[in-house]
Amino acid sequence: MASTYTPPVQLLIDELGRLPGVGPKSAQRIAFHLLKIPADDVNRLAEAIIDAKKRVRFCERCFNVADSTLCPICNDDARDSSLVCVVEESRDIVALEKTGEFRGRYHVLLGAMSPLEGIGPEDLKIRELVARIEPEGIEEVILCTNPNTEGEVTAMYLARLLKPIGLKVTRIASGLPVGGDLEYADELTLGRALEGRRSVED
Amino acid sequence: MSGLYHDTGVVLRTYKLRESDKIVVIHTRDNGKVRAVAKGVRKTRSKFGARLEPMSHVKLLLYRGRELDIVSQAEAVEPLSPMLSSLDRASQGLAALEAVDQLSLEREPNPQLYKMLVGVLRTIAAEPSPLNVPAFYWKLLAREGFSPQLDECVRCHGSEPAVQLVAFDLNEGGVLCRSCRSGQAISPAALGLLRDILGGRLQHALRQEESPATHEVSALATRALEYQIERRLKAVAMFEAH
Ligand SMILES: [Zn+2]
Ligand SMILES: [Zn+2]
Repeated sequence: MASTYTPPVQLLIDELGRLPGVGPKSAQRIAFHLLKIPADDVNRLAEAIIDAKKRVRFCERCFNVADSTLCPICNDDARDSSLVCVVEESRDIVALEKTGEFRGRYHVLLGAMSPLEGIGPEDLKIRELVARIEPEGIEEVILCTNPNTEGEVTAMYLARLLKPIGLKVTRIASGLPVGGDLEYADELTLGRALEGRRSVED
Repeated sequence: MSGLYHDTGVVLRTYKLRESDKIVVIHTRDNGKVRAVAKGVRKTRSKFGARLEPMSHVKLLLYRGRELDIVSQAEAVEPLSPMLSSLDRASQGLAALEAVDQLSLEREPNPQLYKMLVGVLRTIAAEPSPLNVPAFYWKLLAREGFSPQLDECVRCHGSEPAVQLVAFDLNEGGVLCRSCRSGQAISPAALGLLRDILGGRLQHALRQEESPATHEVSALATRALEYQIERRLKAVAMFEAH
């Protein structure tokens, strides 16, 4: 298909279109917005992206965002290393930390299983989670994936994988309404859900 | 063409949109495949709750838009929770959705497909038998006009017990005897199950425990459907591998 834009503009639209939640129309809109605003503003945005990408990386242990090899939570010796809370994204850690209820550590899967999109266990940080169990003496894994279809499938898959190893596997309580994203839950609901976690079927 | 309309359907899949919205793809009874925006659905206090997750069976009030419709109200027809009560149920349900998503056409009424999907989801919720999804795939194929020849060799027309039917060839559209064989091998047990599924003894097939024969029927069903729709099925492959 012949492009109606000059190559640099088309390239910009294509790159923007690859971002999550940005469809072709939004990509076009953002591209033309960027072309319209002063060069200084564009430079600031570009530098912020490059700087964040350079300085922020994933914790080598739990895949939380970190500014050194390990994230602050993995570096904190006061945390209970026998208890690990599994989440889909780093932003879920922020939500759970706000509850002040949890003193264990985390593991970020960097996504959830989505069979309809072909996203399977090998696309997530599951092997890395299993590898942590023995060296860190993990005894209980709390599955805090989102209370929606993808999150439930991921939780049940992990339960089937982890229970035979002899771990206690629990799921964040069903007080959380199904269908929502963890990041939108308020602290009180989330704290209560964590408190009332239940054993999980597989 | 715009305005409010009512329909009932099953959510096939969802896509995240902007901050907290979703696009839901629904196979409806009266309007075929419908794509609609559900606003605020990812917020935990959303009025939609779990009613717009994949596999949800819902009564809908929709607002017809130019490209995408908008979900105005959604009311559960059946609870989603049984489908999410075990990994087998969830994976079977998703595999059924994927097939329907491939066969359902936008705004083309297909009430038969809707009925079949609701039926298979109920069957799965009641009991996650290993042949639920394969039987569903074979039934879909039959409805699309592909009913394999299972009683005689498609090439020489020999039938049992004169010849032994040992192979199944999708290109040829059925089973083959030892001397004509092409395609892939099929065991007598698997052939028996296929005949049960397509010959009116579905309940008998669904009572089967997992066995090499059910795996054979399942793999063959997936391949046959992939052959028909000319693309790979992702959900089934994922859980067969584990
Ligand atoms: Zn860490
Ligand atoms: Zn023959």
